[in-house]
Amino acid sequence: MEATVGQRKASGLMKVSRHSSVVRRLTVGVALLSLALLGTSMASMSMGPVNIPVANVASAMLDNVGIDAWQHTETEALVLEQLRLPRIVVGILVGMALGAAGATMQGLFRNPLADPGIIGVSMGGATGAVLAIALGLSGLFYMALPTFAFLGSLAAAFVVYSIGGVGGRFSMATIILAGVAVSSFLGAVISTIIVVEADEDSLRGILFWLAGSLDSRSWEHVGISAPLILGGAAVILVFSRDLNLLMLGDDDARSMGVRVGLLRPMLIGVASMITGVAVAVSGVVAFVGLVAPHMLRIIFGPDHRVLIPVSALGGAFFLVAADTIARTVIQPAEFQVGIVTAFVGAPFFIFLLIKNKRKSGVF
Amino acid sequence: MIGRRGIALILGTLIAMAALLSACGDDATSTATQQPAASPVATATATTAPTATATATATAAPTATPTPQPSPFAGVPGIVNPNNRGWPRQVEVLNGIFEIRAKPARIVTVSIGHDEITYALVPATRVVGVGGVSKDTTYSNVAEIAKAAPSISTEPETILSVKPDIMVTSAFFNKEKVAALERAGLQVLVTDLSGDPAGRRNTILLMGYIYGEEERAIAFAKEIDDRHKALQSVVGNKPSKPKVLAVASYGDQIYTAGLKSTEGGIIEAAGGINAAAEAKLEFNPVISAESIISMSPEVIIITQPNDSGDPFKDQLMKNAALAQVPAIKNNKIYVVDPKLYTTLSHWNLRGAEDLAKILWPQDFANKQFGGFSSP
Repeated sequence: MEATVGQRKASGLMKVSRHSSVVRRLTVGVALLSLALLGTSMASMSMGPVNIPVANVASAMLDNVGIDAWQHTETEALVLEQLRLPRIVVGILVGMALGAAGATMQGLFRNPLADPGIIGVSMGGATGAVLAIALGLSGLFYMALPTFAFLGSLAAAFVVYSIGGVGGRFSMATIILAGVAVSSFLGAVISTIIVVEADEDSLRGILFWLAGSLDSRSWEHVGISAPLILGGAAVILVFSRDLNLLMLGDDDARSMGVRVGLLRPMLIGVASMITGVAVAVSGVVAFVGLVAPHMLRIIFGPDHRVLIPVSALGGAFFLVAADTIARTVIQPAEFQVGIVTAFVGAPFFIFLLIKNKRKSGVF
Repeated sequence: MIGRRGIALILGTLIAMAALLSACGDDATSTATQQPAASPVATATATTAPTATATATATAAPTATPTPQPSPFAGVPGIVNPNNRGWPRQVEVLNGIFEIRAKPARIVTVSIGHDEITYALVPATRVVGVGGVSKDTTYSNVAEIAKAAPSISTEPETILSVKPDIMVTSAFFNKEKVAALERAGLQVLVTDLSGDPAGRRNTILLMGYIYGEEERAIAFAKEIDDRHKALQSVVGNKPSKPKVLAVASYGDQIYTAGLKSTEGGIIEAAGGINAAAEAKLEFNPVISAESIISMSPEVIIITQPNDSGDPFKDQLMKNAALAQVPAIKNNKIYVVDPKLYTTLSHWNLRGAEDLAKILWPQDFANKQFGGFSSP
């Protein structure tokens, strides 16, 4: 049975805020998270197997904008420009995509447990990548893996979407159930490939890819992901007010001028698309899309006009910080970033949940 | 005059002397026969200090007793009684002590390293089933000979279907499946494989002992030792050794080979310094491209097939950030045959020979390293 508007308001998941309050929270949230992201990115750029002092990082960055500081060496500049910076930028983009898509899915499905993978997009991407590795296609050309992963994500989203639209009317419950079914089916496909795949080295590639990683990301990865992720996130942000209204219920939203039949599948499609792009360039990074919006909803409230941008920035900050830990803690070897997001994110998330429950009594 | 009594006395004395001499001769023979009886004690000592035992024996009876030849199997971990060449015989392996009742005629291993050693020790007809990897020419050094054997998987039923007498496999084989096979009555011996020269020799001797192919195992271990020594005589005393990094790329991840890795052992055997081991890395961890800069190798070997190794090489060569890495600057980056560099059998010696040709072209320019002898 659908909750009443009053119940949803009481739960804190839906609260329509005054404009001035929104602007204030948006400004504070964006400023704080941007500063945190900038600081983390600078720290990340100075840390790694090749020791580069922060001053030299700043010097190299200034040099890029035409200010000749020349405190850095040529090797340091190359390491920063060709290895660390693209990795950090991909981390920011993937984090933004997962954060924004997570907040959107949680709003659309009115379910705080929803994450970007709920409609099978992550598993679709994983299946595409695993197929590319198992068939030996990943070594044939540079972008084979992200291309297959993206196609897998799109195919999964298309199937789920088609099932959800059977009969000419979209049903959110059908989409969730179809997402669960498609994810399970694709999980079985991946398991089958792993079982029958005799090549141990390919298996290693598959297992590491499934844990998610930002290793070896290049400007090409930035180039293919940035327009789609930034464009998709911008579209979601434009419709964030309508997303708030959707949470009042379809009838209430319609009465306020929202074209529910068009908006909901469009937002699902955009969120799926940016998740698919993220999976294509980083593998399956768990937890970011679930936790970042959750944590930030606790801090900044449920209004999507604030929640979408801060979730995007929060997801970016979280992922860049996690990746910095992943690549420096056992350097020159490194972990998969998905392992770190789970190890660091889960305890912190539980801490926030307990703290919030003690404070408010509900969540 | 010597009377009848005198003749009888002389004859009696002669007979007595003959009997005494005869008795002395018997004594000498019986001492030699007792050596094996005393040998288990000697063996137990030899396990920890084989040289010391040999010296002690020689000192105790330098001339009076012939110096006993130590069993070639003395000191080989896992062989319970090195002097027992008959059946049944006992071995102590990773999963316990086993009594092998008779010479096994039908053998399976389901481990590529074990398959490679097994084919070097026994006629191919005794191997009654191999896993798919052993038939894969990319990763197996016995792919050609293994073609004739039926294919089996790691599933207990498929293994039992080829009716093996014994299974010798690695510690990586699923323990629950080992237990299931044992419940079905198959003797499954889990043994270690080692890449270092001493460990490799012990593995060959232990497996030869298990299969009842002692003479072949002794000869083959000597062949491997001789080739190793020949290689070391050239590369062992080089005053300056190049820093070598082994890498492979799978699923966009770069793997290297540090301490305790097969590739690391091969690099050192070929007269190189393992750059990843120097960076304190162990086994085969994931590294970033940036780590290649920090390790600064003079030679990079890519241990994967050409279809994926060549694009990875191009990727490294084209990466501007890596341009100052000595190996890349001097174009010393090689895609090598993975089956020689990733196996834990004697074929990794062949890998070391292959790498030695790369590292020391002036010494091995005209040298053609071949395969190994067959049983």
